[in-house]
Amino acid sequence: MSSRREARGSGNTIRQLDNLLLYDQIRLLPLDLLCVSRRRGLTVPFVHPFATTHQLACPDCDILLELASLEIGEKAICPRCLATLQMHQRNALHRTAAFALAAAVLFLVANCFPFLTLRAGFRQSQMHLWQSAVSLEEDGSPYLAGAVSLFIELAPALLIGGLLYLVLPLLWDRRAPGAITICRAVVWARRWNMVEVFLLGVFVSLLKLGKLASLTVGISFWAFMALIFCLTAALASIHPRELWARLETAK
Amino acid sequence: MRNGFATRSAAARGLALCDVCGLVAPVKAGRCPRCDSRLHLRLRDSLQRTWALTIAATILYFPANLLPVLRVNSVTGDYANTILGGVIQFWQHGDYPVAIIIFTASVMIPVLKIFSIVALCFAARSGHRPRRMTKLYRVTEFIGRWSMVDVFVVAILVAVVQLGSAMSIHPGAAALSFAGVVVLTMLAAMSFDPRLIWDAAAQQRTKQS
Repeated sequence: MSSRREARGSGNTIRQLDNLLLYDQIRLLPLDLLCVSRRRGLTVPFVHPFATTHQLACPDCDILLELASLEIGEKAICPRCLATLQMHQRNALHRTAAFALAAAVLFLVANCFPFLTLRAGFRQSQMHLWQSAVSLEEDGSPYLAGAVSLFIELAPALLIGGLLYLVLPLLWDRRAPGAITICRAVVWARRWNMVEVFLLGVFVSLLKLGKLASLTVGISFWAFMALIFCLTAALASIHPRELWARLETAK
Repeated sequence: MRNGFATRSAAARGLALCDVCGLVAPVKAGRCPRCDSRLHLRLRDSLQRTWALTIAATILYFPANLLPVLRVNSVTGDYANTILGGVIQFWQHGDYPVAIIIFTASVMIPVLKIFSIVALCFAARSGHRPRRMTKLYRVTEFIGRWSMVDVFVVAILVAVVQLGSAMSIHPGAAALSFAGVVVLTMLAAMSFDPRLIWDAAAQQRTKQS
């Protein structure tokens, strides 16, 4: 434990750390937390998932390391390739659950209300979020429609639903049935979720059509922007490794 | 130096990192004791798959840029736009930020991504500058999805511009091939195993000493 503190305090460069013993090879940095509230109203019975030292390998360079338990706000970084190995955030589960719940509500709102309205002369056309995929299908490009609906509807829905399914029971230290399959699905959905790229696409089309006709954004657009924030925050609040460790210790 | 793996790597000790849950377990066990997924020391046929997907993406890149991505039917006449044509149009209209965004996302990023994947494949053989190459790998993985912007713009325009006979927009042939380029480069980055760079670097070091 003390050697770990020294490694952080002495300001060794990574190259020097590389030559130390395995046990000292973790560099710890304080995390900038999203929320710095120190109030502890709703604390779940916290079983520290990393109570003992455990072995881990860097996913990017495969160096074998021994990691002691992290304190709140600390982050373990690979000494060789600087990959983030593990983080321990304050109230990780609560935060993930809260942001994922908010994201679920926002996702429904984003899909139920008009996204963009176009007015040109007397004509008017309205677009819902799901129509971006459906009208491609009607236009005769089913593959493109499938890809778009996967990236902005299926993957985020799976991601939000999966996170809630895993994290909500964990708040009571329970493991939902089929947690492993769902966890895999979440990992997969995370890769193919492109809501933020879609938002950039919306901005580009707003600028593209701005001169042609008057475009107004609907409630759904604002919900979609908030959804991106909540989803990013939910994913950033918990490190996958911590999620797995908690799933392992849960009943 | 054992079996071609870097000395301090988990693989040299017969330990594998589970791809799914990140547990370190002996590879002899076959399956991860925590999540029951198959264990392997390195991604299977990593370089071969990455090369194949990159070559496919490079081939698709040509129709994606040469064919029209959008077809516009309006009362003033029909016309079709390629990706580069759209960028030039924006530039001529003075919409510099949009022109730059589309040019970066749709033209530059895919090309740079293909080049960097090729560079990574070579680095996995030579082991030069492993730390920098690992960084390049992370950037490549992060940046890939942003090229999808143009496909989403097409989807939005097709959905929102439904003004009957006055004006309608349809997706062109390039839209699908462009989506294909993005998906293939993303798959190529996913099938690349950065640990191979470190193995090669270790091999290089032992050869020199």
